[in-house]
Amino acid sequence: MIKINNLNFGYSKHQLLFKNLSMQLSNGHIYGLLGKNGAGKSTLLKNLAGLVYAESGSMDVLGYNPAKRQPALLEQICFIPEEFYLPSVKIDAYVKANAVFYPNFDHPYFTSLLAEFDIPVGQKLINMSYGQKKKVIIAFGLATNAKLIIMDEPTNGLDIPSKAQFRKIMASALTEDRCIIISTHQVRDLDNLIDTVIMLDENSVALKASVEEITDKLVFKRVKEIDETVIYSEPSLAGFNAVMPNFHKEDSKLDLELLFNAVLAEKNKLKPIFN
Amino acid sequence: MNNTFNIQRFGLLLKRQWLEFGKIYLISLLVALGVIVAFYGFALWKAFTYADSFSPRDLNFREPLFLIFGFIFISIIASSYFAHLGQKPKAIIDLLIPASTFEKFLTGVFFTSILSIVSFLFLFYITDLAFVSKLRGMYTSVEQITPYVHNGKEITSIDHIAYFFSKYSGRDKFLPLYFFPFFVTSVFLLGSIFFNKFHYIKTAICVMIFSGIWTAIVVKSGEWLFEGKIMIDQENRNMNHMSQNTGEWLGVLLIVTLTAIFWSITYVRLKEKEV
Repeated sequence: MIKINNLNFGYSKHQLLFKNLSMQLSNGHIYGLLGKNGAGKSTLLKNLAGLVYAESGSMDVLGYNPAKRQPALLEQICFIPEEFYLPSVKIDAYVKANAVFYPNFDHPYFTSLLAEFDIPVGQKLINMSYGQKKKVIIAFGLATNAKLIIMDEPTNGLDIPSKAQFRKIMASALTEDRCIIISTHQVRDLDNLIDTVIMLDENSVALKASVEEITDKLVFKRVKEIDETVIYSEPSLAGFNAVMPNFHKEDSKLDLELLFNAVLAEKNKLKPIFN
Repeated sequence: MNNTFNIQRFGLLLKRQWLEFGKIYLISLLVALGVIVAFYGFALWKAFTYADSFSPRDLNFREPLFLIFGFIFISIIASSYFAHLGQKPKAIIDLLIPASTFEKFLTGVFFTSILSIVSFLFLFYITDLAFVSKLRGMYTSVEQITPYVHNGKEITSIDHIAYFFSKYSGRDKFLPLYFFPFFVTSVFLLGSIFFNKFHYIKTAICVMIFSGIWTAIVVKSGEWLFEGKIMIDQENRNMNHMSQNTGEWLGVLLIVTLTAIFWSITYVRLKEKEV
């Protein structure tokens, strides 16, 4: 579905954000894109949507070059940005003006999503809170039935019940021909939602692995003492939260936050495990 | 699917842009109407209030009002059209609408060069019609004069209270003037996408600088070519060898070419626009 080959991109010609970045993403997955501030998460998403142009390298999104911004590709992309603008109109008017561009737009699904998010339909978009607007734009994006859903910090501004609703809706929105990419700092919001983790660090992909692969190769557990097998640990109330190689094929739950810190701190120890 | 131009998609885009642009545009029209009515009212209130106080000179304000305010109106409309692309949240939504760049550009040309010019002409026409009709009802407008021939026609009377547009009908027209509004809007439309902030001021400054340089080049090259020389072909001192018509058509060609160049650059800038 998405092929990125040797992508070089930078906001300044002298300082590249991505150097020879390559990866492939397939449909039927929810990818969690993680990285430090400034690692290039949003920029990678913008590259995928054709909102910025790379210095060199090639990109193939659903068989199109996103830089050309062709309508045939744009109608298959749903991009939920972190900062967005909605006009001063009611939801009906907004949908009437914009949904026509998406041939697969599902009106009943949109209505059901609004009901699930508890959005007042008759209100003008401009008078809604940031969280409500975000829910409208998420509902609209999902109702387009686009094949590629790109979300940049989608849970920012959502209250706690809405975050749970969001996870539920996203899990049900995944179909075999869809690819969902979610970039976030709020790793806890992605718990039990993503099936593949992509971590960006130092101009490239530091880790790309499915949750299954990660928990197959690593074990996340609480230990009282640290020994030489521990790759990374953080002190906790009853000892240490540790990441270790999964020598004994133990079952453990992926701790995204711990994994994230482990990748940043112990990249060299983790690299051989995933290569 | 045609990824360059589709008439149905273009129609939908016009409708969508009207939703975004329409309200501000209608408010601008109201303001413009207010300004034109205010000028007419201020110039003619005495003629309406006191009997026999009208002088044909009272209507002399119309030419500068039409030219100066018309320039300001169409240039402001053109300068605001792509201005929102300088703001990240608005730019993302707009660039990702599933329509081609060419369709987005054509929509811009329609709103700034066609709709704004037509609506200004209409506003000016109806205001002039209302005020001048009232004047014509109060005063004698036509004066019989000693007949004379102008452009092959015999002139027997002068209409002192002529409608603005009929005043110039039948006269020799300076053709480039008809194309000048399109040139103005093309320059300011380019400014609206070229700059990220203060579009109008920056475009106006650029226009002034380029006009200054252009004038200086023409004057200096004229001085360099003709200083200290005298015209020896006295019979052709009025440049009769190049008919007025040819000169005007050359002017039209220059303005149309420049307009096409500015529109082309605007299209390329829109295509290259990044967020």
